[in-house]
Amino acid sequence: MRKKPSYRDRWEIEGLIFALPSFLVLLVFIIIPIILNLRYCLTNYDGIRAEFDFIGLENFISIFQSDSFVVILMNTFQLSLIYVVGLNVLAIILAALIVRVSARFGNFVKSLLFFPCLLSMVVVGFIWRLIYNYNSGLINVTANKLGLEFLIQEWLGDKALILPSVGVSIIWFALGYYLIIYYAGFMAIPVELYEAADVEGASPVKQFFKVTLPMLAPSITINVVLSTVAILAAFDLPYVLTAGGGPGYYGSTLAIEIYRYAYNSIQQGKAFALSVILAFISIVIALIELRLFLKREEVN
Amino acid sequence: MKKTAGTNKVKKRPLPEIIILAFASIITAVPLYYVFINAFKKPEFIQLEPYFMRPEQFTFNNIARAFTAMKYPEAFFNNLLLLVISSVLMILIGSMAGFAIAIVKSKLLNAYYIVSVLVITVPFQIVMVPLIMIMKKTFLINNYIGVSLVYVAVSLPMVIFLYTGFMRSLPRELSEAAIVDGCNLMKSYYYVYMPLMKTVTGTVLIIKGTFIWNDFLIPLITISKSSMTPLTLRLYGFASVRYNSWDLIFGGTLLCSIPVVILFLSLQKYFIRGVVAGAVKG
Repeated sequence: MRKKPSYRDRWEIEGLIFALPSFLVLLVFIIIPIILNLRYCLTNYDGIRAEFDFIGLENFISIFQSDSFVVILMNTFQLSLIYVVGLNVLAIILAALIVRVSARFGNFVKSLLFFPCLLSMVVVGFIWRLIYNYNSGLINVTANKLGLEFLIQEWLGDKALILPSVGVSIIWFALGYYLIIYYAGFMAIPVELYEAADVEGASPVKQFFKVTLPMLAPSITINVVLSTVAILAAFDLPYVLTAGGGPGYYGSTLAIEIYRYAYNSIQQGKAFALSVILAFISIVIALIELRLFLKREEVN
Repeated sequence: MKKTAGTNKVKKRPLPEIIILAFASIITAVPLYYVFINAFKKPEFIQLEPYFMRPEQFTFNNIARAFTAMKYPEAFFNNLLLLVISSVLMILIGSMAGFAIAIVKSKLLNAYYIVSVLVITVPFQIVMVPLIMIMKKTFLINNYIGVSLVYVAVSLPMVIFLYTGFMRSLPRELSEAAIVDGCNLMKSYYYVYMPLMKTVTGTVLIIKGTFIWNDFLIPLITISKSSMTPLTLRLYGFASVRYNSWDLIFGGTLLCSIPVVILFLSLQKYFIRGVVAGAVKG
């Protein structure tokens, strides 16, 4: 491997120069802000005054003591769970079905389901705000006509319904993207595996769990991790749909609350602290998922 | 139906599958249909009859009013400017980084790759507040270069990941040949690799381009000058200033989405292929 060391060395320096512009952007716009955030969350810095004091964990303590914190934390978990499980299960099932129909119909379904991904979250938020509208929304009007009284609900006003409602609208938005990724995963599975399973007389359900799912594991890992990270930080759609986290804070999530602390109520200290909490949750959950899924991949 | 069952193991007309997929398609299509008809419906009927539109309820007025109210040409130009500046920058510096990481054996570059992939799992919120403070002090707020650099920064980890994956999938002989020819890195990037990057660049453009065009949070916190705001902020304004003015909202919704939709309908295959190409590399 050391035939041409001079080239290799020169290439290394050149390579570093190549990576430098992107590194500088990441440094200034991502890494330095994160370091500042970690520092500011322990101070009473407000972004305006030049001098500020170290106040220890006071910002964190005042967050933990506020009434809204537990509700908002549980909201975030509830929304994430609905989204990640619902999205990935639906996308896998639909992709599995598309594989079995004609290419023409399959392409049509793929394109149609991908369509919402093109829309802005603001647009999606508005669409669903009208669909969920109590008096004239699509759901309540339809339920009324069909005589299904139990379906007439305050979809965005009821504490118990608001997060599932938000979850459904985000799944509607993102489903096509994940579906396409899973579909590509399905297409990469060698046919011989199914033929072998057929010879052994395995039922379609058994084939799905013993052949398809293990072969799909890499796609599942990346999709689950990416969808978790995305939903934890999701701001646009929940914000528009719930008109800023309402009613009260019952439709709020950590991402919305950080924005509210920073720009509505000007409590920068709490915004710093809460964003550290969110980042911690996001990284820990992503790592747990990675470990869990990678282990399963190895076992298989 | 021309293929016999023998040539293809899987039946191509399985009824239950078709029914379920048709049902999923309808669920997906109903909200889209809903927006579309309401964009062309006289405001007083929008809330009255959600599903149908009679000929006498048809109007272009919603779209015309939204067009004027959101100063569409100005907003469209703002969107375009942000999209072009940030796409060009992220593709250029992202592909250079991905290229170097994949081709050059270096511990530093490897470490850089790991750090940038880790950044994918970091939520934007931990960057947001200090970043805006820095930008306010350096006049990057209300400045398209500044806002574009934010887009470049939040997109770069994924862009580097995609380009690195792509470059690694190319045969090693390509870079070996470049060494033998005495190419320096710049030359082999420009002459050998750049022409090959079309697919992955398409993927980056599709994924990050739609994100930038449609984004709401970043302009919300970095652009306060009303003449500089993009489409999404102006559309959102319809809800906060005049609550429930559904005619403006639906007209505006259509206007915001139409450029991406036209692009999608004309380049459908590339969109889907682009997303797949991005995923397979992951």
